[in-house]
Amino acid sequence: MGEYVWFHDVSWHASYAIYFFVIGILAGLSFMSYGSWITPALRPLREKAAYGSLALMAVGGLLLIADLSQPLRFLNVLNPAYLSFTSPLAWGSLNIAAFGVASVLYIMALRKGDEVRGKQLAFVTALLALGLPIYTGYDLSVHQSRPMWNTPIMPVLFVALATASGSAVGSLMAGANEATQRVLREYMLWSTGAVGVILVSILGTTNYGGAASELTFVIMTTGTMGLIFIGFGLLAGTAAPVALLLVAHWREQQSGLMLASVLILVGSAALRYALLMGPQQLQTLY
Amino acid sequence: MSEELRLSPIETRGVAGKRRFAMVVDTRRCIGCMACQVACKAEYDTPLGVNRTWVPYKVVGKYPTVRRQFLPRLCNHCDDAPCVRNCPVEATFKVEDGGFILQRYERCIGCRSCMAACPYNARFMLPSHRTYTPITNVVDKCTFCFHRVTQNLVPACVQTCIGRSRVFGDINDPNSEVSYLVATNPTQVLRPEEGTKPHVFYIGADRNATEFGRDAYHPPEVMEQERSAFKRNFKI
Repeated sequence: MGEYVWFHDVSWHASYAIYFFVIGILAGLSFMSYGSWITPALRPLREKAAYGSLALMAVGGLLLIADLSQPLRFLNVLNPAYLSFTSPLAWGSLNIAAFGVASVLYIMALRKGDEVRGKQLAFVTALLALGLPIYTGYDLSVHQSRPMWNTPIMPVLFVALATASGSAVGSLMAGANEATQRVLREYMLWSTGAVGVILVSILGTTNYGGAASELTFVIMTTGTMGLIFIGFGLLAGTAAPVALLLVAHWREQQSGLMLASVLILVGSAALRYALLMGPQQLQTLY
Repeated sequence: MSEELRLSPIETRGVAGKRRFAMVVDTRRCIGCMACQVACKAEYDTPLGVNRTWVPYKVVGKYPTVRRQFLPRLCNHCDDAPCVRNCPVEATFKVEDGGFILQRYERCIGCRSCMAACPYNARFMLPSHRTYTPITNVVDKCTFCFHRVTQNLVPACVQTCIGRSRVFGDINDPNSEVSYLVATNPTQVLRPEEGTKPHVFYIGADRNATEFGRDAYHPPEVMEQERSAFKRNFKI
């Protein structure tokens, strides 16, 4: 007791978590669309995933711009005279712009029915889509003073989250197509499993860190943030879908797969919110 | 620091021919009058709810011998500043001669990356409505009173400090008062583990005062109520 601290606000608010969620799904959908050129079972998703990805890019881009306190200055990020390549945000904005262009070209090729160019552009689009979760994870991990964010595994976690949430949306789009669902079930199972393993390792190392890490661990695992992170994110959004996907595999249950997809989406939204907001709470007390 | 030990090319401390301004805060002399905070507010018309400098305290000791340990805070004008690295449009930059970390208001996009990068909470977002200036909705921070220092004046907070707790000068000049104080006193910087090489040096502050307090485990309910009221009032 007996402390006077000045009240500080968190730097990034919840709208940024929604942006993370949207950009993860669009990257995952882009992977699915490219996957349809390699894996025939995913063929029914090719156009749907490509359109969905582009639509979500528009939503995500607008969210990102709206989150700026000077929205009209977003063009500064694309101005070569201003651009600073030491910032992950600069790389991210170039990545988003390039992804948007590639996506439009890819959809044009799909509409023309140009198979050769379509496959090439699908590859380019998926490669640029891979950069999106990597940059969002990197955007957090460069902040070395923030416990939980300051791990190099954060971009890997965001790629796994993107694959899981993209596959979940793909599964909801695929409906009763058994061959597609079988492939997507594998994608969801392994990517969600990877998310779980990475989260447990991040939590473990955070708990064994210094004072700030230890306090962040307390914030992340107790109270409302604990309910969101552990309850919705780890248990309902990661452990439960993995269990459901395993059961669905053995019993060929379609309903279990659908429920697992919904839980993965709920969980990945909760995880992104908690991972963004939780580690910022302690800093407000410093 | 010798040239061999220098890790980052952006660092200017100890570089011959360059000035490197620093502040020494002697916490033994701080009486908690907050005059520095008021002087800063007057100098910059800093809006309500945000501060370029602020003076938190902790009550230390055991009753009846208790006292308030003040820890004046401001931007540390780091030699290897994470806010400079993180700004996507170079709105935040370092002035090589002097080491000031400054902000180009007309270029800032308000992405708050610099706020997230700063380990010292030294940055804040300006509100959308201000009376005397059109500078709104961009990130702001302490400038070490760049405009005064370039006119051979000391920062407003240093000028007004009645206990001479704050001392300002060129740490690259071996004859300056800050050089003397840093050389002859045990000093502490905030969060040295972050590798930012801060240039605000504290005399008389220990880890209990500069690290996250144990109270953070159990924040008093009244503090949370005040925080909520504050956020409601300033719509943050």
